[in-house]
Amino acid sequence: MQTQGKIDLLLVDDEEDFRRTIAKRLRRRGMSPEEAGNGEECLTMIDEHPMDVVVLDVKMPGMSGIEILRRIKEKHPGTEVLLLTGYATTHDGVEGIKAGAFDYLSKPVELEQLIGKIQQAYDKIQREKEKIREADYRTRIEQQMIATERLASLGTLAAGVAHEINNPLAIIQEAVGWMQLLLQKSELEDLPRKADFDLALTKIKNGIERARRITHQLLGFVRKTDSHFSEIDLTDLIHEAIEMVKTEAGDRHIELISDSDEERVTIFSDPYQLRQVLINLLTNAIQATLDAGEIKIHIVDADDNVSFSIVDNGRGVPKENMEKIFEPFFSTKAPGQGTGLGLFVTRGILGKLEGRIELESRLGHGAEFRVILPKIFKMQTGRESDDRRDWTKLIKDIH
Amino acid sequence: MIKIPIKVLLVDDEKDFVEMLALRLNELGERAFSSFSGRECLDVLEEKAIDVVILDIKMPGMDGIETLREIKRRFPLVEVILLTGHGTTETAVEGMKLGAFDYLLKPADFDALMMKLEGARKRRDEQEERIRSAEARLLMRKSGDI
Repeated sequence: MQTQGKIDLLLVDDEEDFRRTIAKRLRRRGMSPEEAGNGEECLTMIDEHPMDVVVLDVKMPGMSGIEILRRIKEKHPGTEVLLLTGYATTHDGVEGIKAGAFDYLSKPVELEQLIGKIQQAYDKIQREKEKIREADYRTRIEQQMIATERLASLGTLAAGVAHEINNPLAIIQEAVGWMQLLLQKSELEDLPRKADFDLALTKIKNGIERARRITHQLLGFVRKTDSHFSEIDLTDLIHEAIEMVKTEAGDRHIELISDSDEERVTIFSDPYQLRQVLINLLTNAIQATLDAGEIKIHIVDADDNVSFSIVDNGRGVPKENMEKIFEPFFSTKAPGQGTGLGLFVTRGILGKLEGRIELESRLGHGAEFRVILPKIFKMQTGRESDDRRDWTKLIKDIH
Repeated sequence: MIKIPIKVLLVDDEKDFVEMLALRLNELGERAFSSFSGRECLDVLEEKAIDVVILDIKMPGMDGIETLREIKRRFPLVEVILLTGHGTTETAVEGMKLGAFDYLLKPADFDALMMKLEGARKRRDEQEERIRSAEARLLMRKSGDI
């Protein structure tokens, strides 16, 4: 048995000759037992260096074996204790087991038996450790699942709120539009403080527009399970996205350079959502880059995944913001400029497409956003429709 | 040019929304009628000659798509513009495949709505015109036989 050498073993017996002999014979069999002559010594040694298995003589002067056993189990519950009882006294043995001993052996002790019991005790320790590891692992997985579910629910919640808000927004918009119409009528030409009304209505209209952009962004994030998947030529998709942001970049003389290792990189995913991701990232890059700056888009084709990077040489992201920028409504722009949702939605979309996004950046040294996607998307069904049902029920309860 | 008012039927369970939009359209010289459910919409279509229906997709009872199907079945020449406050743009596209003229996401940009309204009315007018020509040709053929 190879594990024998690994067992931290302590022999405790006041009969020196007996103890030494057993220790010698155990060593010959590949074990490395420590030795102690009494209770105090034993406890001191264990405190300094915890043991796996303690072989303990019950009848010793000073502290009794049972007392020592109790003290050991108190401070080191993971340590297993084997009692060596006196000649034919099973009473001590049973008491020992009741007090927490692993087992007992009556003297004279047969070496094979002893080794067997030591091994058994050690195996028990291993099993206990394994159980704790598994429980810990399970807890962590559960926590992660809860967090993921919470995020998914949050996404659905956000979308639910968005679509509920769209209705009153529509009403406000019509009412404001109507008022603006009325104000232009000839009969209201001489209305006192007409300009004030106009101003206020314009502000309201702008406010609605902002709210609308937010709700539409959030709604774009949660799509039904029948998203459209197809084979996508990633190089083409990137060129399409570049076309769509070209004017904004061109106005400030920012160059968009695209290159890839391979000729054609294809993946199986949802082109609509990927295009949205690309446009989000490109727009961010353009806004972060200074005039006449440069943005590089680079595709890498790995074995079962594909990644593309959008690298800009703009302002970069300070360390304290690296996680925050993915949070909803976080923005370093002035209020009203942008929704602060771009990266939140992007990460959400990529999560649903079984991909992920990574950021590398240093303040003043630009930023690289790397998107990693599987080549084949493993369909997930059912989850979103369940969340939608829960949301609909919640809305009904509110009403 | 004399403005011919578009006869629009608004269908949405959100009464405030229908009221405001109707006021706005009427103020601009169109003829807007209101209804608050799929059933009501079909009742109005029975009684009045409507050019275009602006129809909300998500309604309690008879929903937008069901109503759309009925409109196309019983009043095929009426054009329908779908309105949705939802992320259910997939449903809107499905509606277009069932014959809706177009769709808009709430809150709808009024100019965009007007443009689509004009477009829908134009399509309906052109179809009416084609029907009239066909009827005329039919009459001529019949008189020719005499």
